[in-house]
Amino acid sequence: MNKEVTHCLLCERELQQVITWQTLFERSWPPVICERCEAKFERTHYTTEELTTIFYYNDAMKNFLRQYKFSQDIILAKVFRQELNKLLRNRSETIVPIPMNPLKKKERTFAHIDELLHAAEIPYEHLLEKTTTETQVGKSKLQRQQVAPLFSCTKELAAKHYILIDDIVTTGTTIAHAKKALLDAGAESVTAIVLIKG
Amino acid sequence: MQRRTKKAHYLGLLLHPSAIHSMIGRIMRREDLPYTSKLINLYIERGLLKTQPAISTIQGLLKTHFRCERCLNTQSEKFIHFHCAKCEQVCTYCRHCITMGRIASCTQLLTWAGPSPQHPKKHQFSWTSTLTELQQHASLELAASIQQKRQHLLHAVCGAGKTEILFQPIYNALQKGFRICVATPRTDVVLELAPRLQKVFPTTMIHVLYGGAPEQQSYAQLVIATTHQLYRFAKAFDVMIVDEADAFPYTFDESLQKAVYKAKKPDAPITFVTATPSSKLLKQRDGYSFLPRRYHNHPLPVPRFQSLWRYKRQFKKDKLPKQLRQWVEQRIEAKQPFLIFFPTIEMLEQALPLFSPNILGVHAEDPTRKEKILKLRNAEIQGLLTTTILERGITIANLQVAVVGAENPIFTASALIQIAGRVGRDEQYPTGDIIFFHHGISLEMDLAKQEIQRLNEVANE
Repeated sequence: MNKEVTHCLLCERELQQVITWQTLFERSWPPVICERCEAKFERTHYTTEELTTIFYYNDAMKNFLRQYKFSQDIILAKVFRQELNKLLRNRSETIVPIPMNPLKKKERTFAHIDELLHAAEIPYEHLLEKTTTETQVGKSKLQRQQVAPLFSCTKELAAKHYILIDDIVTTGTTIAHAKKALLDAGAESVTAIVLIKG
Repeated sequence: MQRRTKKAHYLGLLLHPSAIHSMIGRIMRREDLPYTSKLINLYIERGLLKTQPAISTIQGLLKTHFRCERCLNTQSEKFIHFHCAKCEQVCTYCRHCITMGRIASCTQLLTWAGPSPQHPKKHQFSWTSTLTELQQHASLELAASIQQKRQHLLHAVCGAGKTEILFQPIYNALQKGFRICVATPRTDVVLELAPRLQKVFPTTMIHVLYGGAPEQQSYAQLVIATTHQLYRFAKAFDVMIVDEADAFPYTFDESLQKAVYKAKKPDAPITFVTATPSSKLLKQRDGYSFLPRRYHNHPLPVPRFQSLWRYKRQFKKDKLPKQLRQWVEQRIEAKQPFLIFFPTIEMLEQALPLFSPNILGVHAEDPTRKEKILKLRNAEIQGLLTTTILERGITIANLQVAVVGAENPIFTASALIQIAGRVGRDEQYPTGDIIFFHHGISLEMDLAKQEIQRLNEVANE
């Protein structure tokens, strides 16, 4: 996955590299999508102590997720590497991606959160295990909150700080379950960074 | 076939004939078949389905080359390598045809290897209009080429009545029980062709395939498809007709050309149909028919050039250039439908708010473009702003056409000839205005005008 990208990964137009002062001085990757496609993603400025999100779930994001997760176009993990890298590099906290059910992962051929972090060159550690195969899709908020614990922790944790990573948050149930599992295993504090706010 | 299925029945192997029909000539991913793994394996064992790996590797001198066995793409930047959680090693997938469902090294492709079906030889041919002498001549030449399994180039100017020329040769082939494909690079052309062919062959099962088309069950002897859809076929057709054979992206994307050859049977003849053949097409032809005259015998409208200096800057300042505004006002006053071509989507979107709300814009990413074209045809709107997607296959009576920024490299001579060919197609309105607004005349504009004038002269001889 280390090939030069010459055409926009989303619309196939030829990419023009623009050199600005920012690209000269800041360590950054060459873009993989064109400005037109990039402009279609809508940024959030939603940050609380517990949760940071980067983008809203709009039509462009819906198409992106469909192509990335369901068409299994893994190279799209690179699209948001700059944003994720900026938020996560040089963190002292341990970074914990939300895991996939092993069967589901096999079916999809890749774990989408891991690939996002991988593309952003962020080291991470898997500390959680998914206990069920059901997804949160298509459930009401009440139904989501009433399910049995979704995750279990794989080991006893040191009393340190942890950051959970997920692709999309709607009601926050997944994050809440994961957080509880980590805290129960001995974590001191848990925050979350999620790419998309539903 | 009867005997085999009987035997298969005893083994609990029987699939419904329509299920088998939907597999014939197709190249499919294993996971797309709605049958159990056990059943598919039995079919493979019996030699009824053939398997092949989806991505083949060719060891070159310095590096390994890849080829996608569905779309035959070999561009190395379209192959992505990743660690696959399914087969737990490094896998390669093809991005070129990913919209049809991703295929990777560990994907199995299946083709039907069992008996092929008998096609009906009786077809209703309900076409009553007559051909002009020139059309009739070309039609006979084409039918002869197909009969002799010879490649043929049908070179006919825009509005010569190319589609009508195809009817008789298609009918002949249907009667012989051949499976026929009419392929074209443009979805718009597919959508225009399909109802016309269905009308001429009312009892023939026709499949119409393009990106986003509704799913069609069972088996069709006549298939009308975009060239992209041919990725899904292998050795399926006895006769292949490629309409608008010089259109983007067919000439530009080599894998589409390979797809045409892959989809037909090895000895099946190909017919290329176009108004603006490339020199390559002219060279590789075997049979050749040339129609320099339109069916209504009027000359092709010759484009006129009009300077529109610094139009980009004017659009940026939210100003409609004066000459363009006057041209549009004249069209509206005369109640003539019109098309205005723009070189880019960005410029089209910049210009659109400067026109009255009764004028819409279409481009390739527009999901409602079918409806918008219909509105123009039904005179619900006065005009359409468009990119080059409407350069071909659109026929509207009394249409007037302008090109803004005709010097832009996207408007090649053949694109400009096609655009000019939208004008004066109807017998009642055989003339019309075709105007190239420019910021400096390009070589391609000159070439287009010269070629149109040359064709008019040839037609007069």
